[in-house]
Amino acid sequence: MNACPERIVHYMHEYLDGEISREHELELKSHLQSCVDCQAHMHELSDVVAFVKGAAHVEAPTNFSNAVMARLPKEKSHAGVSR
Amino acid sequence: MDALVNKRIKQVLKGDKDAFAEIVDLYQHRLFQVCFRMLGNRHEAEDIAQEAFVRAFINIHTFDQKRKFSTWLYRIATNLCIDRIRKKKPDYYLDAEVKGTEGLDMYSQIAAEDELPEEELMKLELQDRIQYEISRLPDKYRSAIVLKYMEELSLQEISEILELPLGTVKTRIHRGREALRKQLSRQPNFL
Repeated sequence: MNACPERIVHYMHEYLDGEISREHELELKSHLQSCVDCQAHMHELSDVVAFVKGAAHVEAPTNFSNAVMARLPKEKSHAGVSR
Repeated sequence: MDALVNKRIKQVLKGDKDAFAEIVDLYQHRLFQVCFRMLGNRHEAEDIAQEAFVRAFINIHTFDQKRKFSTWLYRIATNLCIDRIRKKKPDYYLDAEVKGTEGLDMYSQIAAEDELPEEELMKLELQDRIQYEISRLPDKYRSAIVLKYMEELSLQEISEILELPLGTVKTRIHRGREALRKQLSRQPNFL
């Protein structure tokens, strides 16, 4: 198998988190230019991010608020109130 | 928004229960979404998201108004979701009938979480496919990935919600992305 330094994958994730230093970014980029396996790995990770970001927003059902209000305890406990 | 929320919280603390309705209105969609993505089921998500608001109401006197209310609320909801997921994990009573499901036992529930055969997978609509892949992530990674990519929260906020050091959150997100990469690359022509 290839002998890419482990830190390269770590840098990929730093890059995806938007938290990569200039130094690491340069090393990552130059490595990717010379290594097709890591290039493929990086592509797949970017695709994963695009994939999960493709999730549609979901909304609570229409009567959600009312249902919550109906579920609240009838009498608020006096624990914090009495004094 | 925080100022408005804190005002409502003060009213609730004084015994004005109705002020809580506005808080629910403000956060209901976000909270429902996180529960839905964690649990993969609308009914359960509705139940757990409602329960999270009820717990928030009951414990509102413990909320520190100098902090962000949404972080606190997300923490209650994610904890409830994780509890629910763990309870569903069938260590025992595999053949016990699941309450209210007429003959469905735990085996049929596990089967639903098993890996789908490739041809079935191909038939899934994109949105179902996304939810399916998310639901196969170990819960530790799932919560971090959901909060980051579906709720679009910062790593710092996720660390406060999950009560984990920032470094741990990053590791979970990294591993979550790697796990998804492996899941997806098993299907040709997907990634």
